[in-house]
Amino acid sequence: MSEMMRNRLMLAIALILAAIYLFPLYWMYITALKTGSAMFATPPQFWPSDPQWHIYGDVWQSRNMGRYLGNSLVIAFGAVSLICVLGVGCAYVLARYRNVWVDIGLFLILMLQVLPASLMITPIFVGFSQIGLLASPRFAVILAIAAKSMPFFVVLVRATFMSVPQELEEAALVDGNSRIGAFWHIVLPLARNGILVSAILIFMQAFGEFVYSKSIIQAVELQPASVGLNSFMGPNTNEWNNIMAYATMYVTPILAIFVLLQRRIVSGLTSGALK
Amino acid sequence: MKRFLSSITDGKGFDILLVAFPLGYLFLMSGLPLLYNVLMSFQEVDMFSLGTFWRPFVGLKNYRDLFAQPETLPILYNTGIFVVASIAGQFLLGFGLALFFWTNFPGASWLRGLFLVSWVMPGLVVGAIWNWILSGDFGVLNFLLRESGIIEGNIFWRSDPDFSLWAVILANIWLGMAFNMILLSVGLSAIPKDLFEAAELDGANAFQRFWTITLPMMRSSIGAIISLGLIFTLQQFDLFAAITSGGPNNSSNVTQYWAWDLSFRQYDFAKGATISVIMIVFVMFASVVYVRSTRHEVRG
Repeated sequence: MSEMMRNRLMLAIALILAAIYLFPLYWMYITALKTGSAMFATPPQFWPSDPQWHIYGDVWQSRNMGRYLGNSLVIAFGAVSLICVLGVGCAYVLARYRNVWVDIGLFLILMLQVLPASLMITPIFVGFSQIGLLASPRFAVILAIAAKSMPFFVVLVRATFMSVPQELEEAALVDGNSRIGAFWHIVLPLARNGILVSAILIFMQAFGEFVYSKSIIQAVELQPASVGLNSFMGPNTNEWNNIMAYATMYVTPILAIFVLLQRRIVSGLTSGALK
Repeated sequence: MKRFLSSITDGKGFDILLVAFPLGYLFLMSGLPLLYNVLMSFQEVDMFSLGTFWRPFVGLKNYRDLFAQPETLPILYNTGIFVVASIAGQFLLGFGLALFFWTNFPGASWLRGLFLVSWVMPGLVVGAIWNWILSGDFGVLNFLLRESGIIEGNIFWRSDPDFSLWAVILANIWLGMAFNMILLSVGLSAIPKDLFEAAELDGANAFQRFWTITLPMMRSSIGAIISLGLIFTLQQFDLFAAITSGGPNNSSNVTQYWAWDLSFRQYDFAKGATISVIMIVFVMFASVVYVRSTRHEVRG
């Protein structure tokens, strides 16, 4: 078998595997476009005969999605900004030195990375309610998400800083730069892409965050889209086309960013997660 | 004072400042809650004493009560099944895919990356999609299984106590498989190619090469990935909230959902804290295994 035939065959198998794997996503997009009766047809339609494009507008209006997505954006941007401000410097120092203190710091950070949110929410909720933070629930959620996601961000960004040659920073110091100057003008610009990709990953996680928002935010008008989706899905719901339309509008922006930046995101993730 | 300031702009003080704030923040927002959790598990917490720190101490009463409850052991058992089945499924399927994409054909790395969409999607959306796919009467999975002759009648994935846990496991395997595959691919690409060429010259067949080269060379990656899998599986909450809510009758309940349910549905914060403490000890143990298996890489 020639090399080209083999490549074609492998590519075909890979495409079939990807199609099987991505079927749930396809099913979400297709279900959203079905009419109420087509949705419950047996056998199910694998291609909608009568696509209902107006469903997006209807669901956007009736579920007040603009407000939900706005809250998700506020929470995600808040959490990512806080994490970047605090995490970048920490990752830089942990990447620059090799000693026992750095090892201890890394160990602590890795340990904090693994605490499940659904287990930490009990003490966080009780503690926050005692110091009065529940009065501004979105801010409370931002604080909690930042604590949860910062360790992962530090691990990823640290890998980026490790790949910046230390000689460049030393050269800047010899040339009379202060530490701050060298960090700000030399190291940070070189690590910018890695930091940006890590921030996007954290943003995606924060955008879909559920446990903290569900537990802390009681007022409907402050809840993010994940909580909105949860309250949309009652135990005996049969509005699956509407729910899938909601889900479509919620994830399509994330999926678009992911597909555009896929190569960078995957390489950023793999460099950090195993190191 | 001047020396202090110049240390901050140009010396050790700069490093210490950069680390002190994030670590202080993490201590406030993760460390203190962790300790507070332990404290609450020894206290009597109800709606009236929620606002004060000085609640009556009850010793080990919460722990004794917890294990006296009839649902505790089944839920722990469910957690065990959920963790083992999810990790086994994610790892085996992920490893299979990683080996397949390792053969390296044009487009392999791009397609491989595409699998990771499951991982960036909000967990609740994944749960909603699987909830619909697994629906009893109109779910597409039942249809496909029926048409291919695997089952005779519909399986009520979400409402049948025999299947509800497996419904969540199925969704969780789908969710975590791609992440396993990507990390395993990294491990695979780090194996020197000449090892395989030498083995091939010596007449080792594909199976022998896999068994004697690939697996031993992957040992530390596999250790890291399985302990990461354990950590992520114990964090899985959204799928339970979106698919079964732990029901019917706790048949698909696991500890990480139950802890939340006790605190925020039944307002029994002391019990919620107690089960959290028990599970966090477990997770910490897994993370020590993870850190140990990646330690040589951490030190660089």
